[in-house]
Amino acid sequence: MTAPCLVVGAGPTGLGCAAELAAARPVELIDRIPVPGGEAGWSTPAITALADDTRRRGVRFRLGNTALRWEPGRLLIAGPGKIEWIPGERLFYAGGLRPATAADLHITGDRPAGVLPATVARHLLTAQNRLWRRLAVIGDGPWAGQVAAHARVGGSTIIAITPGCDPPDWADEAMTQATQITITGRDRVQAVRACTKLQWAETACDGVVLAASPRPNRNITGALADDSPGVTFIQPLAAASIIERSEIGRSAARSWIAANRGTG
Amino acid sequence: MFKYCIYSDHLNKNMDRVYSDHSAAGRGRIVTAGPRKQVDSVAGQPQFDVVIAGGGVLGAAVAARLSRTSARVALVEAETDLAEGASKGNAGVAVSYYGAPGTQQTQLINASNPGWETLTGRLDVPFRRLGGLMVALDADEEQRLRETLEEVHACGVRAELLTARQVRDTEPLVSGHAVAGLLLPDDGIIDPMRLTIAYARLAAANGVAIRLGERILGIEHDGDHSAVITSRSRLTTRFVVNAAGVEADRISALAGGETLRTWPRKGQYVVLDRAFGEKLTKIVFSTHTPQTKGSNVVPTTHGSVLLGPTALDIADSGDRATDPETVAWILDNARRLVPATADAYIMKTFAANRPAGDEPHRLRTDARQPRLLHVTDRSAGVSISPAAAELALTLLRAAGLDARDRDGALDALPPVPRLRTSPDPAALAAADSLYGQVVCACEHVTAAEINAALAGPVAATSADGVRKRTGAAYGRCQGSLCLAGISFLTAMSTGTGPASVRQTARGTVGS
Repeated sequence: MTAPCLVVGAGPTGLGCAAELAAARPVELIDRIPVPGGEAGWSTPAITALADDTRRRGVRFRLGNTALRWEPGRLLIAGPGKIEWIPGERLFYAGGLRPATAADLHITGDRPAGVLPATVARHLLTAQNRLWRRLAVIGDGPWAGQVAAHARVGGSTIIAITPGCDPPDWADEAMTQATQITITGRDRVQAVRACTKLQWAETACDGVVLAASPRPNRNITGALADDSPGVTFIQPLAAASIIERSEIGRSAARSWIAANRGTG
Repeated sequence: MFKYCIYSDHLNKNMDRVYSDHSAAGRGRIVTAGPRKQVDSVAGQPQFDVVIAGGGVLGAAVAARLSRTSARVALVEAETDLAEGASKGNAGVAVSYYGAPGTQQTQLINASNPGWETLTGRLDVPFRRLGGLMVALDADEEQRLRETLEEVHACGVRAELLTARQVRDTEPLVSGHAVAGLLLPDDGIIDPMRLTIAYARLAAANGVAIRLGERILGIEHDGDHSAVITSRSRLTTRFVVNAAGVEADRISALAGGETLRTWPRKGQYVVLDRAFGEKLTKIVFSTHTPQTKGSNVVPTTHGSVLLGPTALDIADSGDRATDPETVAWILDNARRLVPATADAYIMKTFAANRPAGDEPHRLRTDARQPRLLHVTDRSAGVSISPAAAELALTLLRAAGLDARDRDGALDALPPVPRLRTSPDPAALAAADSLYGQVVCACEHVTAAEINAALAGPVAATSADGVRKRTGAAYGRCQGSLCLAGISFLTAMSTGTGPASVRQTARGTVGS
């Protein structure tokens, strides 16, 4: 009996990949969140339709399970009440994106409270929390506009720190000139300073959200590097619709099936 | 999404009597445990025999040692958590050699070093005796390495001079320009925050009052007693231990002790991802110069790699800012020692201050106040801590402290299994279903581990406190996936909300 193909990530990319793989192999789809959709959310019609289609094709959903360690041939997953190794012919990793960290952005200065990744800020803000009065949003990645919109509902003034970009339409104020960003604040964050070779400008704030250039999430031991054995990474960086992302997943699956026809 | 059971009953039954009191002000916190000793002031009797000023590794180590005696002890820390100064911001090396032979510091390192496996086993603290490799990159450095070898041997410490070939056989990642190396096989890596917190947890379990978020504002003397006046209370005591690190001068002045000179020495660090850390098998040190021990390449017990520290004497101990020039220097220096660091993913940069002074190591009774004991060390606090605590007890006894070792005092903490390093993960979830709930996906930290950090004596009260105790959010995504969940669990445990929960020991998520 052939070990199944394992797809980690039940967002649009992973759903598309799993659906397409199911034509050639048994497939298991794993996600740490107990619903499909990933960053796209579980309730949009496009996701519901994708998930239904993927299920109809015989893909086994293992939602609410976090993938931990990959060794060619098996994957360690942790779910409610159970941690187990499951067999897998190949790992297709569609673990999505995360915002760039302070280190990714070469931000220096203090490391005070009140500086949060955009994914975390969005999570807190969507629960109707009023967190900040003047929020500096660093970067114009896919989360920036959502975070700004939610924070504005809570009464925040939004300052965009978006070097090299036009002032984004989601901001009340913008600092678009910076080669170096510095954060200041001993207890909580107090200001963001944007420096160029010629000048610097500073804006006071009581919250900072890191929302710049998305990076691929990688967190499975044995599946961190691009050349990890037995792993196909499918993590498109460019912004795209749900359908486009699922097509990228399908395309990766088709390529692999074509290259591995006759095996398995 | 975050339906975690908050109070995992993970701590050993020995800690059943532990309680913690979140103050109405929400800042100060007093933790103590049974068997409760007398804490109320009886007429003419002080509440405590010893008040320890400072919750870094040395203050906590002294508290742990004293807790196994009949002495009544309080530890007072201005920050809302332990290990918020140099004990948080250091490279996490338990050195076998640091400086000249014949000094008290060297004696304490020698006395501490052989016992790390036993001690860290008892206290559930990550430790690995990887060995250190000091690298010479030119003839001058090779000459200094030979001088260092003589000093190491004079200290009674094992070391071996390696040829260029042997250096690369020992650690293939070291630069091909290395001309010689000095292997220090007894050096180890340790988690300095877990060590500090474990010392404090043991102390609390044995009845020491750990008073967090209380700043010492005055010390008054009355006959053979003293009163330590804090931002929250007045603690009467016979002895004061000054383990206040960079604030040791202030505490000594408040106590009417000697005029000490201490100042912050800022060190900046760069942290590299575990994908690189998995390849590095030795601590790689720069050759020492007469001025500095240099910036190093150090594997951590989390699997990451620390580059640093730099050393800059400053005036303001609140200054923990990094700057781009220094970060660039650290990276350049690391590349000279270990070229592959250039390709490693950088997870974060940070700065911390160690307590410099005209007396970098100070473990002695004050010359003016015989009931004041100084216990500070600029750079080797972790490495001397076990023996320093023993010596502090000896000196306090010599000064008149009645502290008999107690039968039945705890000398170990119940271990909290860690999913990331577990050889049998399936068994963990079978024993406690919360091990199946992975909160931090990068570092594989579970709800069971986080609940253990949020419970018991010296529990975490901030997301950072959880991070220090579990490693959650230490990884490459720096909390992008897990910080909401950790904040939620912390808020539940501390009775705060999404905005008022502490992100760090000092500040909240919202304003």
